[in-house]
Amino acid sequence: MDEALEVGDKLDTGADKVQERLQKRHQARIEDVERRKEAKESQSVAEEKGEYFYSAFNKERAAVEELLSGCSGADRATMTHRLEEATDRIGQLQKFLNDSVLFLTQYDLRQAQAALQKLQSTLAEMREDALPKKKFAFKVRTKAADKASVTPAPNPDADTPAAAGGTKRDGATASEQYGFSNMSDVLVTRTAEEIQKQDVLLTHLTNCKVRLLGSPSTLHLKHIDSCEILCGPVSSSVFIDHCRNSTLAFPCQQLRTHHTTDTQVYLHVTSRAIIEDCRGVSFAPFSWSYPSLEEDFSVSGLDKNRNNWNQVDDFNWLAAGTPSPNWMVIPEADRKTNWDTEN
Amino acid sequence: MGLLTILKKMKQKEREMRLLMLGLDNAGKTTILKKFNGEDVSTISPTLGFNIKTLEHRGFKLNIWDVGGQKSLRSYWRNYFESTDGLVWVVDSADRLRLEDCRQELSALLLEERLAGATLLVFANKQDLPGALSKEAIREALALDEIKSHHWCIIGCSAVTGENLLTGVDWLLDDIAARIFTAD
Ligand SMILES: Nc1nc2c(ncn2[C@@H]2O[C@H](COP(=O)(O)OP(=O)(O)OP(=O)(O)O)[C@@H](O)[C@H]2O)c(=O)[nH]1
Ligand SMILES: [Mg+2]
Repeated sequence: MDEALEVGDKLDTGADKVQERLQKRHQARIEDVERRKEAKESQSVAEEKGEYFYSAFNKERAAVEELLSGCSGADRATMTHRLEEATDRIGQLQKFLNDSVLFLTQYDLRQAQAALQKLQSTLAEMREDALPKKKFAFKVRTKAADKASVTPAPNPDADTPAAAGGTKRDGATASEQYGFSNMSDVLVTRTAEEIQKQDVLLTHLTNCKVRLLGSPSTLHLKHIDSCEILCGPVSSSVFIDHCRNSTLAFPCQQLRTHHTTDTQVYLHVTSRAIIEDCRGVSFAPFSWSYPSLEEDFSVSGLDKNRNNWNQVDDFNWLAAGTPSPNWMVIPEADRKTNWDTEN
Repeated sequence: MGLLTILKKMKQKEREMRLLMLGLDNAGKTTILKKFNGEDVSTISPTLGFNIKTLEHRGFKLNIWDVGGQKSLRSYWRNYFESTDGLVWVVDSADRLRLEDCRQELSALLLEERLAGATLLVFANKQDLPGALSKEAIREALALDEIKSHHWCIIGCSAVTGENLLTGVDWLLDDIAARIFTAD
């Protein structure tokens, strides 16, 4: 940080400085190779994980099915108890699935999600048949946040499932911004129930891969370096400041990009994208996909058929006629097409 | 008859007001303006220059100027100061990282001679967002209580739901009207 200053200050140690910097660069290169090796290894681990996921998921699913089918004919107290246990276990199953998203194929993910949804609707039906509606806010929740009924809050320590989806959650999020910061070299996945309708803020991320599988209200990215950030449909604006050397993908209503360099944006924007104080920002149409993308599009209210991804206004280049040198369209041949298999 | 009195008399006849909307980029100025006017807000782009809207409200003719808030446009704000009766300062209540920026821009504006007579309405916008700061928190962050030079008021609102937009504008009109039209 103060390197320039130091060099200026003590000219006599200039040679040492250069030496030191070379050493640092060499170290960085070695680390880079290491990192790549690790990435490769984690790929094969991923395949094993997929196997493990499958057997564990199916085993638990079968157990919950059995629990539910054993409910008919039981007395009220037993029934209540069992339904709550089932709710809990389905919640955990959902969490398990969410945590496994990164190494599952799209097909597997969809299968698992469908299986979960089936369990949930069975559970909901049984609850409705068996128990007075007043006692559980489940129905209310289904109405209030349709998404939440598909993916219940994985909140095992909440007293009742109703509390987890209802007042408790609202209370916890009131005037709290959702997001994370100061991370490097990690994969982060967030699901709809965590980010839906939230204003999401991500700051100081380096060399991270982020998947936001849901529809936030807004998304702010600040101080992002060498990351891949993919996000579901954002109902209003995405605001980016100080981002470099990264790949981003999302649908949104407006994109506002500041102080950003050498970054690719795979964009669906229904009004306009703008850049200010940017260099080397390139755009292509949004092409990432995930299982609930369609649903999230409708949650966001964005028009799927209206994409102005290549109409970018540069606030530092308002000369009509000549195109801004600060952004460009990614040539078709160079566009990323494979999002999920590459790791 | 002084020039100011003549001006007041003229305005009284037409009951016309000039409102200037400013604030950082992304605060929601254009969205507020369009929502207030009952227009579609889903197609709004970041403002490259400015928008003017003339509308009738409570028998007043309002000329509302909405100027883009991008950094590169802020130096042009001064071109719109003249004859402003009301200044509407719009804040994105969920953008905590730029509140200091927001405070500085506002306090610089309040030093402007040509805005000296204007009433100030602060809209703490985007109250529908879960992470939005309350209007009390915004009031503190922008040090509004230190303002002695202008009549001011802060209102929490949402341009998306339309909540409190009318309340804010009505307060502004009342304050301006009391100043301009009732003077002899
Ligand atoms: N959730 C939410 N989003 C809002 C609200 N008001 C505006 N927005 C969104 O914020 C983004 C910016 O809104 P604009 O109205 O374009 O902001 P602006 O202040 O005019 O910005 P500039 O023209 O750049 O100065 C848009 O995506 C709006 O949909 C609000 O009350 N709530
Ligand atoms: Mg605008």
